[in-house]
Amino acid sequence: MSTLTVLTPGGSADVPGQIDGPRATLAAAELPAAIGWELKPEGLCRGDVCVPVQGLDGPTVDLAEVAGALGSTVLVDDQTAAVAISVPAQDRRAGLIGRQAPDFSLPDLDGNLHTLEQFAGRKRLLIAFASW
Amino acid sequence: MIWIDAGGTIARPNSAEVGTDMFVDFTGVTPDEHMDQVRAWVRSEELPADAAYEVEDLDAAEVQARLAFRLGAHARRGGDDDRARHWFAQAAELAPMDFSVRRAAMPLQEVDPFGEAFFELFGAWREAGSPYHGVPRS
Repeated sequence: MSTLTVLTPGGSADVPGQIDGPRATLAAAELPAAIGWELKPEGLCRGDVCVPVQGLDGPTVDLAEVAGALGSTVLVDDQTAAVAISVPAQDRRAGLIGRQAPDFSLPDLDGNLHTLEQFAGRKRLLIAFASW
Repeated sequence: MIWIDAGGTIARPNSAEVGTDMFVDFTGVTPDEHMDQVRAWVRSEELPADAAYEVEDLDAAEVQARLAFRLGAHARRGGDDDRARHWFAQAAELAPMDFSVRRAAMPLQEVDPFGEAFFELFGAWREAGSPYHGVPRS
């Protein structure tokens, strides 16, 4: 068993796992650390949310199958032992339709973190640019 | 730029705007109309018609391109520049008009993001009708 770097929309995690060509597998018990979802009898669960799944009942799981059950896709790099996982399609669609701005934090020039939420109650103009 | 109201709802989705006249000769875009619209929204809740524009989702190739970009950035962080270039090239093939992939990869490959490669990309993007996941410029 080697170490996989799992790149998720929210960050990254190094977990024990195996890559064989385009296939990345890991112990089901590692899923919470890898992607924040846990395999339970009722399905893949995160907090109060569970997604029913079929065929993911062994001690080892294929990350592509897990991602597929969540509406995500994966891309595997067997040379760097890394796996990138996309935002679930339904989350993207819900964001585009619901138009609720997700909270996030970014540092200012002094390194102090600020969240979008801390400016709640006021209109906000969000400007993204690159200074290069 | 994205307009977000006091309750956290996106009042006008992302659009390509400018803050000054600095690049008007290049982009043909001035800040005046947009800033007038922002003032009208802030002062009187008035929204332009295009605020209701529904941004279309990424297609499968664009999703794959962003994953390839992430693998490229990861390889570069690990010092494997050859592998990084492989993934950045794959990302560019999957989403040739996506600035989030194409231009963002330039400085990660020691390519000037304001140099020849950028101007080639910009010209091709213009010829392709300026595709963009956001409010289109009328």
